[in-house]
Formats: sequence, structure tokens, C-alpha cells
Amino acid sequence: MKLSTTPAATSPTAEAATTPAVEIDDLRYSYGDRTALDGLSLRIPAGSIFGLLGPNGSGKSTLLGILIGRRQAASGSVRALGEPLSTRLRSRMGIVFQEPSLDATMTVRETMHLQGRLFGQPRPATVREANRLLERVGLAERASAMTATLSGGMKRRLELARALLPRPELILLDEPTLALDPDSRQRLWQHLLEANADGCTLLLATNDVHEAERYCQTVALLDAGRLVAQGEPAELKRDLRHDAVRIEWQHDPASEATLMRAWPDVGHVRVAGRTTHVTVDAASPFLTRIFQQSGDRIHSVQIEESTLEDVYFQLVGKAIAPRAEGDGDGEQAE
Amino acid sequence: MSQVEAVLALLARDLRGFFRSRSQLYSSVLFPLMLLAILGTGVSEGLDPRKIHDYVTFLTPGMIVMTALFSSTFSSASYYQDRDSGILKVFLASPHSTRVILLGKTLSSVLIGAAQALLVLGVASLIPAIHFQWQYGVLPSLGLSVFSIALLNFFLSGLGQLLASKISSMQGFHLVMNLVLFPFLFFSGAFFPLNDLPEWLKLAGRVNPLSYGVDMMHLALYADGSGGYFGLPLDFAVLSLLATAVFWFGTGRTVSPDR
Repeated sequence: MKLSTTPAATSPTAEAATTPAVEIDDLRYSYGDRTALDGLSLRIPAGSIFGLLGPNGSGKSTLLGILIGRRQAASGSVRALGEPLSTRLRSRMGIVFQEPSLDATMTVRETMHLQGRLFGQPRPATVREANRLLERVGLAERASAMTATLSGGMKRRLELARALLPRPELILLDEPTLALDPDSRQRLWQHLLEANADGCTLLLATNDVHEAERYCQTVALLDAGRLVAQGEPAELKRDLRHDAVRIEWQHDPASEATLMRAWPDVGHVRVAGRTTHVTVDAASPFLTRIFQQSGDRIHSVQIEESTLEDVYFQLVGKAIAPRAEGDGDGEQAE
Repeated sequence: MSQVEAVLALLARDLRGFFRSRSQLYSSVLFPLMLLAILGTGVSEGLDPRKIHDYVTFLTPGMIVMTALFSSTFSSASYYQDRDSGILKVFLASPHSTRVILLGKTLSSVLIGAAQALLVLGVASLIPAIHFQWQYGVLPSLGLSVFSIALLNFFLSGLGQLLASKISSMQGFHLVMNLVLFPFLFFSGAFFPLNDLPEWLKLAGRVNPLSYGVDMMHLALYADGSGGYFGLPLDFAVLSLLATAVFWFGTGRTVSPDR
């Protein structure tokens, strides 16, 4: 089942670009018996912020690994920035990895300069650009500090500055804000948006629905290496039941969940411990009915805006992010 | 040109890391000198001087080879540190082939191993109890020493890379390296001449690549008119061939992104 596949190209750069930043056709990759990418096809507009949204194991990191040359696809074709993948093409791409990727024995400045040398930049240009980027990400005063002494947020900003140093046209972001506090997260995104405004295409792999909704112009929902749906976040949510209702119960709501699933105006019902998350056509008549039926067992009710999580659940029947309450789908990490 | 720049950048980065690790720098030079003082003096006293003339001087080329052996292989272990810190992924995501990245890293192991071995040679030459013979003349003998140290380090660093392709953890790497290194060292003629050993140990010495390096070093520093155990042409042929092959395959290995 697929929703609209119309790309959202809102930035002027994207509108001007004629060649997609990434073109993927029928891409397949397996880890032994486990299929990671199962005939995936995508077009990522140049200059856009494009999100790959799906749970762990849905193929996001595998796709980034193929784009950066760490993995070889079993079949299918990939082109980036108008060229087939090659070692040389990597000079036009940057990546921020999910896990830390800094050398603790190097200083901030050395980290930047090494990147410049690896990408074949002349030393004066590297020094100038490194200074500019360190200033931009707020690390100029820590240029002489060892990377081991930086906070988690600073390390992430340094990794981003390092990725930006060779002025890439495409940046791959593998859950770049994972484990960052809200302030660091917001600062990192501010720098990412600046890079995008400079014309850089951002390809974000994430399982954070709020991040994808807030920052991505186009989102591709992935499940088990397949494209489930693709479009603008608002567009993806358009076909969804209108309201989302979160009910906290005084006991295990298994019987209430069964009851609600039988109602025609109810979309999907997710159960997480004593909480049910329900999408409905309209919250008011639904709440009237549920209070009539089981009001004495309800602890609290909250009406929420629908998210891409709801879209994903409606299409795939499982949640994106593993949840502590127990409604995760037990997927394996990639 | 940019590939050369990338190799040099990685080389400089590893050398800087090595010099920042003072303990590694000091211990790698102090250990062989300490062994030379303790083992050399102790064994000299208990040895029949008719069998080995001037044991401390005999032992010195072996200690230099041992320094090269340990330092270059332990430098190869920096591969695991880079992998675990995540920086290796960054190198591999740069616009260079895996061979270029491994070449940069392996050359730094060669340089670090060779520099330390030469440092031990330099310090040893200042110790009055050590009497190098320089049988080909000081400069040619010194040149031969440097050449054999370089060949050995190419071989050992390549070997380190080959082993790293098969072993997933640094602990495992150190264990296997010790299993490989110590027999290499003991049956190389570094501690005692291969001449006087039983046949089966002589055989072990012959198939041991390190024996050819030790023989070369003995010829350069210790021997006085002798042609060595294997002889310089055979030493050179075996070591050059092995160093080239192992270095080529070691830097040409694949690096799995999954471990």
C-alpha cells in the first residue's frame, strides 16, 4: 500500500535542480538469511531534507552504508548526484554516523585538518574553512581541546562540522541527534538547516517521528527494507483518521481494545501496558461512547495530534520506535 | 596525488598519536635495553665463552629485531582502536580505497617500528660493553641494519594487517600475536645461535621469517668475517619476497563494516 509519492521541494535550490540527489531502483541487500533491503526504489530531490523513517532493522542504515560504499548491494541500481556510486563520488558526500566517530587522541582542530587532507583540499583552504565552520558550530574556542574533553553535543557538532568541511552536496545523517539533550538537538538542527539553506541535500535516517515531521520536507516510511509510503508529512497524515486519543486505564485494557477495534469510526488501536492509543474520525463522539461503555475504568484521557507514528502503525501494523512500555515490535538493530 | 596526501595524512596522524602516548614510546625502547642488561649480563656469566664470543654484543641484534617485532605489531593493533572509536568508518567514507587507508596506517606501523629499533641500535652503540664489528665498514653495515629493520617492519606490519582481517577483537589479536611472536623470536637465533641447536629446532629456524632478519642484523653488527647462518643473498631474497607479499596482501584486505 502506498500513499502519494509526490516529492516536496520547497527550497529554491530544490526547485532549480533537475537531477535528483539520489536515485535508487529495486535495491536489494541481505545479511545472510535476513533481508535488509527488499526491492527499494526512491528518488531524493536535490536540495531537500529527506527522511528515511522506520524502526530499527527497516533498512535505513543499510541504505546509507551502500551510499557511502561500506556495503555492496546484491542487486538494483543507485546513483547519487547524477553519477553511479564510486570512491571518487564520496568527495561530494559527507556523513554523520549514528555512533561516535572521533579520535580521542586528536584535538578539534586536528580532526578538521585531517578531514581536509583526506578530501584533498589545499591546506590554506582547509584552515580557513575549518575556522569558519568551528566558529559556526560554536567550537572555535575549543579548537585546541582534545576531542575526548568535549560534551556529547559538542562532539556531534564537531562531527557535523567535519562532514561539512569538504563542502558536500549530499550529507547522510544516521540518527544524528540520538542521545542528545533537547538543547543540543535543536542547535545541531539549526546547523543542519543552515547547511541545507546553502544547497546541501540532507538524507536523514531516523526513528524519531517528531524530528522527521518537523524538519523533513519528504519522508519515506520503510518496513523490512520496503517502501511503505512516501510524501510530505502533512500529506501522509491526510488520509489518516483525524484525531488521536490516548487513554490511560486503571487495569489491563485488553477487552476495551477489542471493543474499540470493532467500532467503524476507529482506525487503529495500540496497547502499551495500561495505555491505549487510538486514532478516530472524531474524538467527541468516540469519547462519549467510550465513557458510556467503560467510563468507570478510565484513569485519564488525552487528545493528541496525529503523528507519522500513527500513519506508520496504520500502514504497517506496528510502531516505529521501540517503547519502554512494551508495545515495541521487538525488532533487531541493524 | 591526493592519494599520496591521504596516506601522508594518516601516517602523520598515527605518528602524532604514538608520540603522545609516552608510556608506549618509553617502554618499547626501555624493555629491550633492560633485557639486554639483565639477560645479556646474566647469561654471559654462565656461558661457555668458547661457544658464543661476547654474548651481550651477540644479543643486541636480536634485541633490535625484537623491538621491531613488538612495536610494529602493536602499532598494527591501532587498527582496533580506530575501529572501536569509529574513526575508521570516517576514513573509509573518504574518497579513497580501503587499500589507501590501510597503506597509510600500515606505513605508520613500519615507521614507528623502524624508528624504535633504530633508537635501540643507537643507544646500544653507545654502551661500552657492546662491541659492534661493522664488518662491512660502519656506514655500509649501518645501511644494512636500517635496510633489514625496514624489511622486517614491512613484513611484520603486513602480517599484523593480515591477522587483523581474521581476528575481530583487540584482545584476540594480542593473544594470537603473542602466540606467533614468541615462537618467532625464540627460534630466530636472537637469543642463541641456530648452529648449535638440534635438527628439529634448526628446521623451525629455517621456516621462521624472523631468522633471516636476525641473520642480516648479525651480519651487519656482530659477525666478524663470517658469512652468517643463511648468508646475505638468501636473507635478502627470503625477507624481500615475504615482506612484499605479506605487505601487499595485508593492505589489500577487506575491512568488514560489521565488526
